[in-house]
Amino acid sequence: MNVPRLSILPHSRKRFLRGLGAALALPSLELFSRETTPKKRMLLVSNNLGVLPWPFFPKESGRDYTPSPYLKPLQDFRDQFTVFSGLSHPAVSGGHSTENCFLTAAKDPTGSGFRNTISLDQYAIEKLGQSTRFPTLNLGVNIDKANRSLSWTRDGSLLPAEDKPSTLFSKMFVQGNAREKEQRLLKLANRESLLDALGEDLSRFQIQLGKRDKEKLDQYFTSIRELEGQLLSAGEWEVKPKPSTQSVPPADILDRAKFFEKFELMLRMAELAFESDSTRIVTLMVDGFATPVFEVGGGEKSLNGYHNLSHHGQSKAKIAQLEKVDLRQMALLRDHFQRLSDSKLLDDTMVLYGSNLGDANVHNCTNLPILLAGGRFQHGQHLAYNGNRNTPLANLFVSMLQKLGVEADRFSSGEGTLDGFA
Amino acid sequence: MKPLPANAFLCLVAPVMLGGQVVPRETLALVEQHCLDCHDEDVRKGDLDLSIPDSKLADGKARDLWAKVFDRVDKGEMPPPGKAKGFGEGERKRLVQGLWEPLWVSDRKDVLENGRGPVRRLTREEFEDNLRDLLLLPNLDIRDKLPADRESHGFTKISGMLDVSRVQLAGWLDAAETALREALATGVEPLPVQKMRFTGTDLFQGLTTFGGREAMFFARENVMVPDPTEVLKTLSPEERRVGALEAAIFRSATWPYFGYPRGFRAKYGGEYKVRFEARAVRQVPDFRLVPAYEPQAISFRARQPSGPDVSGDVRETGGWMDLLPEPKVFNTTILLKAGETFEYSLLGLPVPFIRTDSGFYYDFPPMPPEGHRGAAIRWLEIEGPVRPESWPPPSHKVLFGDLPLCPPPKGSQFPVGVVSKDPEGDSVRLFKAFASRMAREDVPEGSLEVFTKMILGKLQAGEPLVDTLVHGYQAFLCSGHVVYLKEPRGDGGMDLASRLSFLLWNSTPDAQLRKLAQPGESLKGETLAREIARLVADEKFERFVQNFTGQWLELKQLRRDTPDGRLYPEYRKDDYLVDSMEKETHAFFSEMVRGNLPVTTLVDAGFTYVNDRLARHYDLPRKEGSGMRKVKLPGWSPYGGLLTQASILKLTANGTTTSPVLRGVWVMEKILGELPPAPPTTVPAIEPDIRGATTIRSQLAKHTEVESCANCHKRFDPVGFALENFDVMGSWRDRYRGLDLGEKITGYDPAGHPYAYFVGHAVEPSGKLMDGREFKDIRELKKLLASNPRKLAKNFLHQLALYATGTRVRISDRPVIESILDQCEPDGYRVADLLHALVQSPVFLGVQPQ
Repeated sequence: MNVPRLSILPHSRKRFLRGLGAALALPSLELFSRETTPKKRMLLVSNNLGVLPWPFFPKESGRDYTPSPYLKPLQDFRDQFTVFSGLSHPAVSGGHSTENCFLTAAKDPTGSGFRNTISLDQYAIEKLGQSTRFPTLNLGVNIDKANRSLSWTRDGSLLPAEDKPSTLFSKMFVQGNAREKEQRLLKLANRESLLDALGEDLSRFQIQLGKRDKEKLDQYFTSIRELEGQLLSAGEWEVKPKPSTQSVPPADILDRAKFFEKFELMLRMAELAFESDSTRIVTLMVDGFATPVFEVGGGEKSLNGYHNLSHHGQSKAKIAQLEKVDLRQMALLRDHFQRLSDSKLLDDTMVLYGSNLGDANVHNCTNLPILLAGGRFQHGQHLAYNGNRNTPLANLFVSMLQKLGVEADRFSSGEGTLDGFA
Repeated sequence: MKPLPANAFLCLVAPVMLGGQVVPRETLALVEQHCLDCHDEDVRKGDLDLSIPDSKLADGKARDLWAKVFDRVDKGEMPPPGKAKGFGEGERKRLVQGLWEPLWVSDRKDVLENGRGPVRRLTREEFEDNLRDLLLLPNLDIRDKLPADRESHGFTKISGMLDVSRVQLAGWLDAAETALREALATGVEPLPVQKMRFTGTDLFQGLTTFGGREAMFFARENVMVPDPTEVLKTLSPEERRVGALEAAIFRSATWPYFGYPRGFRAKYGGEYKVRFEARAVRQVPDFRLVPAYEPQAISFRARQPSGPDVSGDVRETGGWMDLLPEPKVFNTTILLKAGETFEYSLLGLPVPFIRTDSGFYYDFPPMPPEGHRGAAIRWLEIEGPVRPESWPPPSHKVLFGDLPLCPPPKGSQFPVGVVSKDPEGDSVRLFKAFASRMAREDVPEGSLEVFTKMILGKLQAGEPLVDTLVHGYQAFLCSGHVVYLKEPRGDGGMDLASRLSFLLWNSTPDAQLRKLAQPGESLKGETLAREIARLVADEKFERFVQNFTGQWLELKQLRRDTPDGRLYPEYRKDDYLVDSMEKETHAFFSEMVRGNLPVTTLVDAGFTYVNDRLARHYDLPRKEGSGMRKVKLPGWSPYGGLLTQASILKLTANGTTTSPVLRGVWVMEKILGELPPAPPTTVPAIEPDIRGATTIRSQLAKHTEVESCANCHKRFDPVGFALENFDVMGSWRDRYRGLDLGEKITGYDPAGHPYAYFVGHAVEPSGKLMDGREFKDIRELKKLLASNPRKLAKNFLHQLALYATGTRVRISDRPVIESILDQCEPDGYRVADLLHALVQSPVFLGVQPQ
């Protein structure tokens, strides 16, 4: 290949970004319709204190399982979700320190030399490329933003969660500050000119090379072209007006004791993001650990902060309260499924609910409570894996990635899809 | 090493060029007669169909296939003994000879036309090391911004597998930007320096930590102080400053723990100087301190001050220091990211462990007769970030030469600007200097223009000089000039210099090597030999030791599995042991090369490297301190030679059980150079029985009753059986452990947990090699393996050639390898000799294309 390979993008489109960066006189632009298949979405939720194991896991496995106490509220959607037992992240131990590994499965988070790895959401969008205004959104409830997140970069940097619904709302629906937009476009234009130079230089570079080398360099040309495509897409989103919404801007709840209200609001924000197609991948860490004494419901206050409550030490009073807390979360999930279903989104939206802790009382990180709804899997069953053999939760992640349209046969400790789940 | 005539390799080459590139008819007839019974389109034994073979060897695929046929027949493995009637030694010779010449000719022709292998992009480790050296940033940490490189049998430096993708390119751009930002001065003036001194209760985040009083307390005059806060109130400011209290710690730094000084958080990333006074102590009953019997190793762990739970990276930093029974002041430098703090990490001490049997608490093991080992710290000072000797720092000057600093102009994305009277002239000048430094060779004028055009365009549009240049640099660091390594062409130029330095330093050639690679110089013969020796002697050679053992021996998998807490409770959280194992293998391999030891030291040697922990692990006489020291091994020790080092025995086990199959296959592939065929997918792998009812040997005996299984297993199982005397961590055992059956052993693990396991069946380590030689145990096996040094040397060359060139030893390379072996034979195949000879051969030097 001696010909520069950058001519695939039409000249006018290729110069498009540069034009934007300089002038900002924006023609209203029709987005290219790139998709014909239904849009696949994914919401990944983790409560870092989990739920009590015995009322969560059904006793029988398979399709005919009797709903466990916690799953009873979800029975309207029985055929639209699967509950899993016996899954965990191999070699991910260290109590609460595992919370940042829920979507990364990075081993031994407290050992010397630990560095987190790329999370499922970031990995998916890296493979899929951006086709919405926000590649992903990362949300939190009561979250300690500096130290906790479900979303991590490849080199182990924490991507901070957003815990203010009002900020999310304006990100999604309120037209931004023109100066900021200009700066973002300038950055895109900069990168575009950089890729241009790299491509041109590479064409010259390969002249000195042999035939086999030239074949090898084709990959580089393709990569430049694909990155340019991504820039273009990002640029189009910058100039495209934000969608309008009937929804009223939400008021932030500042009182951390109103845990369930905050949780519900964040689920609604995720729905709003999906409905407006602002993004298709949302993560949500429910930070029970950072939740102080909170309202359990009916005027009742938790006996301790959520963390101490979770170390119930077999206290009857604490267990009774935890059951209430867990059930309220199940009710939130149920309502969430209902709303997604009403807006015809549930089939193509995978909703994963789980935790990095199998039993918070003893800091156990095996047999994690995992529930997955939507996404056109064959649902309606309790898939019980042998917990002793540590079936990797990341196998389920591989199954989910494939449903999302990512060509992946492994992810982190997941070396294949989850057996028996399709 | 025998001196080699200058045209030695040419002799191997010349006469054969006359032959054809097709498998001769007579050879095909032999194949038809003796191979097709099993390898036709119907039976396809071993998935090999020779019924309509492609005999045109110009095609790489056909060549590979015939090379496989050649090898199996040549070794006498095919046709299987007793299977092919009428296939005698005469037939074997004819078949092998008939195949060899066309194979050689066609492969040679391909090499001459297209080169030995394609250009290779840098691995992520190379990308990082390269920028560390070029930008003068020894602590640069960017490898994890790049996706993991694909690997084959542990190797990541394989040209054919080093792809470029969109993710890779985005990673390069990101990593290059990070590196450049770090190289740039942080401001017109250096960053302000933080300085703190900690004494008394400020030495520790809390007054206690997990594990209770036994794990940590404050002491005054060797006695625990129940209420240190009250005591502090009674002290004068001077008494406090000097440190009237000591923080005494008896546990390891693992979760949950927050043993960091109170109130410190690095405002900026960088190096920090730490000074502290401490000593090694023993805790005896009633929480009293007495001097320790032995030194106690300490290090630090950088981490976020996120309470007892860990968030983000955890990094050991500051090195290992041995505290002594007498108080002593220590100095070290630690590396912190902005926002991080650092915790005390005492190596090899117990780990408190959660108990839920009566409430919820963290337990500490019972006190051993000599007391709990630990450390007492009296005061600690931290100061940083350490200022570079000059400002702006040297890394900045790589980017902007001597242009004076100024505050960043409006609109700049960087914390500093530079003053220039002639921005356009300066930017072109600086860019050209940067490009020739980074590219390892002269960049063609046309290529330079591509970048300077972009830079000048931005300057003219009013962008600040720093921004435009950094942008241009970023692009250049991702360009082909930097990220690709080209195949040398036998002319001793920069491509050769680069191949050599990327082999031995994992990075770019330095000024001297560059100079020798200039046209008019001659990087060959004596000069080349001197350069190899110089690079090996340099401290950057450690990168070779680490990367080559990491890939070849798969040492990077050392921490893949942790020992099963039920069967091997004594190793719970023993990171100190695992780290020591790794250091042993690095030190040993380094000595093999630097000391030019015979290749047989891979399997047998009279020495190794140990510290206190490893000496204990190997049942050797006690050693003091954490440093690795060379020790002579007593005759009875089974631990001489790389093969039986704890690191190898650990990485070839899975933490719970050992498998003679896996260990045997490892030895065949890594040490003897015989890659066994992949296991058939239809036969499930043997699951060792961890109850203790049966041994892996009897399980395998059953498995190999089937002839088709036995054929392969007899190649590797016996070697593996000899290694069964070593447990999952490489400790000697005569009997297997199990969970249910045998003699009960009980005790307390390092976390204070009671344990019970059973010792049962005896290990049966004897066996018989393929060639019929028998051995009774590992000691005898080592002698047998060491008696064929040529085989060990040949494998070493193959592994090294792949690592060094990114391409496997090709058919046409084989005579070269044989000639290197001949050359090194008289001196007993010494490792540095092999390295030198390979580098001086056409496999490494490349050939002139025709």
